[in-house]
Amino acid sequence: MPAVALPATAEWLAALAGSPLPGRRHEDWRFTDLAPLQSVAPEPWTGPDPFALAALPDGITRLEPSEAQQLRSQVLQATGSSAAWPVQLNQGASPRCLALRVSGAAGPLQLSIDAGTAPGLLALQLLLILEDGASLELLQHHSSNAANATSQLTVAQLGHGARLHLGVLAPGDCRASLLSHLAISQAPASALQLTTAVGGWALSRLEPRICQVAGAAHTRLRALQLVDGQDLADTHSHVRFEGPDGELDQLHKVVADGAGRSVFNGAVQVPRKAQQTNAAQLSRTLLLSDRARVDTKPELEIVADDVKCAHGATVSRLQQNELFYLQSRGIGADQASKLLLRGYCEEVLRELPAAAAALNPLQLLLRERP
Amino acid sequence: MIRPDAPLLLDICDLHASVEDQPILKGVNLSIRAGEIHAVMGRNGSGKSTLSKVLAGHPAYTVTAGSVNYRGADLLELDPEQRARIGLFLGFQYPVEIPGVSNLEFLRVATNSRRAERGDEELDTFAFEDLVHERLKVVQMDPAFLGRSVNEGFSGGEKKRNEILQMALLEPLVAILDETDSGLDIDALRIVADGVNQLAGPENATLLITHYQRLLDLITPDYVHVMAAGRILRTGGKELALELERTGYDWVDLELARLEPETVEVA
Amino acid sequence: MSTATVGDLVSQPYKHGFVTDIETEKIAKGLSEDVVRLISSKKDEPDFLLQFRLRAYRQWLQTAEPDWAALGYPPIDYQNIIYYAAPKQQEKKASLDEVDPKLLETFDKLGIPLSEQKRLSNVAVDAVFDSVSIATTYKEKLAEHGVIFCSISEAVKEHPELIEAYLGTVVPSNDNYFAALNSAVFSDGSFVFIPKGVECPMELSTYFRINSADTGQFERTLIVAEEGASVSYLEGCTAPMFDTNQLHAAVVELVVLDDASIKYSTVQNWYAGDENGVGGIYNFVTKRGQCRGARSRISWTQVETGSAITWKYPSCVLQGADSVGEFYSVALTNNHQQADTGTKMIHVGPRTRSTIVSKGISAGHSSNSYRGLVQIGPKALGAKNYSQCDSMLIGDQAAANTYPYIRSQQPDAVVEHEASTCRISADQLFYLQSRGIGFEEAVSMMVSGFCRDVFNQLPMEFAAEADKLLALKLEGSVG
Repeated sequence: MPAVALPATAEWLAALAGSPLPGRRHEDWRFTDLAPLQSVAPEPWTGPDPFALAALPDGITRLEPSEAQQLRSQVLQATGSSAAWPVQLNQGASPRCLALRVSGAAGPLQLSIDAGTAPGLLALQLLLILEDGASLELLQHHSSNAANATSQLTVAQLGHGARLHLGVLAPGDCRASLLSHLAISQAPASALQLTTAVGGWALSRLEPRICQVAGAAHTRLRALQLVDGQDLADTHSHVRFEGPDGELDQLHKVVADGAGRSVFNGAVQVPRKAQQTNAAQLSRTLLLSDRARVDTKPELEIVADDVKCAHGATVSRLQQNELFYLQSRGIGADQASKLLLRGYCEEVLRELPAAAAALNPLQLLLRERP
Repeated sequence: MIRPDAPLLLDICDLHASVEDQPILKGVNLSIRAGEIHAVMGRNGSGKSTLSKVLAGHPAYTVTAGSVNYRGADLLELDPEQRARIGLFLGFQYPVEIPGVSNLEFLRVATNSRRAERGDEELDTFAFEDLVHERLKVVQMDPAFLGRSVNEGFSGGEKKRNEILQMALLEPLVAILDETDSGLDIDALRIVADGVNQLAGPENATLLITHYQRLLDLITPDYVHVMAAGRILRTGGKELALELERTGYDWVDLELARLEPETVEVA
Repeated sequence: MSTATVGDLVSQPYKHGFVTDIETEKIAKGLSEDVVRLISSKKDEPDFLLQFRLRAYRQWLQTAEPDWAALGYPPIDYQNIIYYAAPKQQEKKASLDEVDPKLLETFDKLGIPLSEQKRLSNVAVDAVFDSVSIATTYKEKLAEHGVIFCSISEAVKEHPELIEAYLGTVVPSNDNYFAALNSAVFSDGSFVFIPKGVECPMELSTYFRINSADTGQFERTLIVAEEGASVSYLEGCTAPMFDTNQLHAAVVELVVLDDASIKYSTVQNWYAGDENGVGGIYNFVTKRGQCRGARSRISWTQVETGSAITWKYPSCVLQGADSVGEFYSVALTNNHQQADTGTKMIHVGPRTRSTIVSKGISAGHSSNSYRGLVQIGPKALGAKNYSQCDSMLIGDQAAANTYPYIRSQQPDAVVEHEASTCRISADQLFYLQSRGIGFEEAVSMMVSGFCRDVFNQLPMEFAAEADKLLALKLEGSVG
């Protein structure tokens, strides 16, 4: 059912963000209708704090508020996130905040952020400093069960040689909205693996913005985006290299079914100082229904001559030859399609942090709609 | 074939060279006369590949001292293409792939550059096709490779055959073959060695840079030089290579440790 | 040791920068409804065309100049441009002997001889000087086959029904800011009509020459290929070197019916400005072809080497079932040139196919952007697109951007896009040099190799020209 926009909500959100809702005339929001967001009740979400953790794993301590503030402004500036509307909204919505410092090899962390059945806007900020050489595996598990909205800002600073394996597993609700901005700065020799799997939201907007502040870091992005019904899923990723020898390996996968809309915009910026950058971006879309729509737009901007940058994009149905191969082994067409679809999704899902396996992400994301 | 009265083609004197400020060659001396086949052997990092690159004029290497005289001219003053045009040839260990540039066109332009230097008339596409088909026989190469881009998608053996084909077309006076045997199976090695033997004559000379005896079983050298730490440590006849095959390179370390650089005997 | 860098080689003096000293009739600077009426009356146009122009002018006033391209230039003062300039000669001459010898000489110098004795044997040429067409060769021979090839002004007089039927049907006058401007003030251009079943017996070519410093050039080209007809058309363009910028805002419309095909090639060599980015042409061009018929085909091939600013997206609207659109492009930018160019492939009909091959070479401080859209509509069952965009960077001051948009609404369609970036590596250069090939020739070989997939698409007569042009751009001194 299409969401009905409430004028009061638009005003309330604009007041929180300090700027009006972006519309179709903003290039970054051209295909993204914010109607579902405007159908939530114009009030803060009330419910138990999803960040109320019983205990922190070894190697993780809380940051002082002043440290947290400094970290946030540093990283948001490095990644150029401050002007993003979802960040402005989050900042203005008095978010619940979890600010952590990671030293050495910390134990895995899992955050379950369930907006549940409560109405309104749930705003959360997660701030992370990974000290030099520190490592962390972190899973954010978003969910909802009503016409509410989640605004999540994740800010992470990776020190020299730090390793962050961050997973965002977000099976949603067809009435709910998710706005998730991930601002991550990487020092040289750091490694980021960001795996996101999003599906089932009336509106989801994912904005990973990564900056290799002096190059020489490794960034691996894996994303799976599923739309069905009337869903709209939008991913705007942005990776910038501020120094030489950086690496990016990005795979963005989409499954578009029903009357869903998928938007992908993948920017990669390689300025002059980023010689010897090696960046690859691949976007693969499965379009399964003739009512679904996809808009894909890689943006490669290169001002350095000694670099390797490749990108590719495909939009198609399931591979006929793969289907045929399975069928020729006696597997029915329907089952073969399902098998192939699972395989297609698993390629990304298996790169979520280990904790995700227990949640059975494939089942969460591909569940039958009510 | 050693003839003391044969003209001197290449005379390397106390050659020092470095790459990225790292000294690699530390006083190489070597003279090559027409008709001779020389082999330079040595371990990885001994400087033998650097020697070949410096002689061909690779821009990454800086000559810091010494001289190289090629038939009376100062070789080090010349651009790489000029060296090739006057008859110096380098067979690369790893020939690069150049997508988009047709192999046939490349061979024709290169051949005509050499011909122009010698005062021969330029070959048009038809005349060149005749020539190239004749020379293909030297390396038993499939004419299909002419239609492809330079070295693109060639196997290791095909790349090396393409190198020898270029040598057959350019008719160099001094051919330096850098690890031409590396990565070749025995059949390909035989074909390449046959090609080199066919092209060797009393007017030209060959400098083989190699690791192993197996190439020298097929091409008999007049001189064998052992290179270590950027210098030629010992020079002998073909029996030196056999001795190396038997004893390995360990004695080289001992000798290096024992000898002061100044007292090292060079050919 | 050669000290020249690859960057030095892409700088070369512009060879077509001379000005022809000829008396010109110009109207006053500025644009208004009166100017639009004046242009129309100078050309003695029928009322439908005047109305077309006036409508476009009003639409232009309501439209904003586009700002989404990766281009930066100071605001254009549209009131400081002359919208009509013509060399003074009363009527278009019946015979070339009557054309001002200075004009013939100009085209001779540009390598486009027009006179009977010297002209190219298998290419008919329409020569456009500033705002008017001065001569069209081989008209009679073409007429024997029923082919119409003339200036658009002539076509308005002699075939008004064709103009009225097709003009503005592919690029509507309100399509975009520059198309609206062109529709209001277009002065001349070429018209080609290939009747049913006719394969045009020779290549057709229009050569555009801007001569005046303060004149805008707004040509309009319309090519119609009826059922089963085919034609290969090439345009070339040059301009003198001025230290001011001249505006060039052209519109090209192609219509192909069932089983017809048009191959449209461009070798664009407008003056690009000097090494500091002073002067040069602002090139804002709308080119679009409509594959209206089943199994029809449009192929765009462009070699873009000139202009200070290029804003150009030759596109195909693939309506007819099984129709085919192709776009092959080489864009070379150097110094401070900026190019934002690409294509749109709009798949409407079933089983439509498109191919995009784009090769961008950026040197100096230039910026070279590929911007493309592949759109698969809901009825484009079994549609297929393959795109390949490669960039070659020369020096670390040049920018190469790639913006390939894909929009699909049809699951039973396949869209594939691939892009890569490369440079001329030192190892490749050394390899060629060590075989006796000079530095310049080595660079030139590698650049033509990079562009080969596109050059192969040019008509035979012009492939050599394009290669030469690129080689020219690459000519320089090895120090």
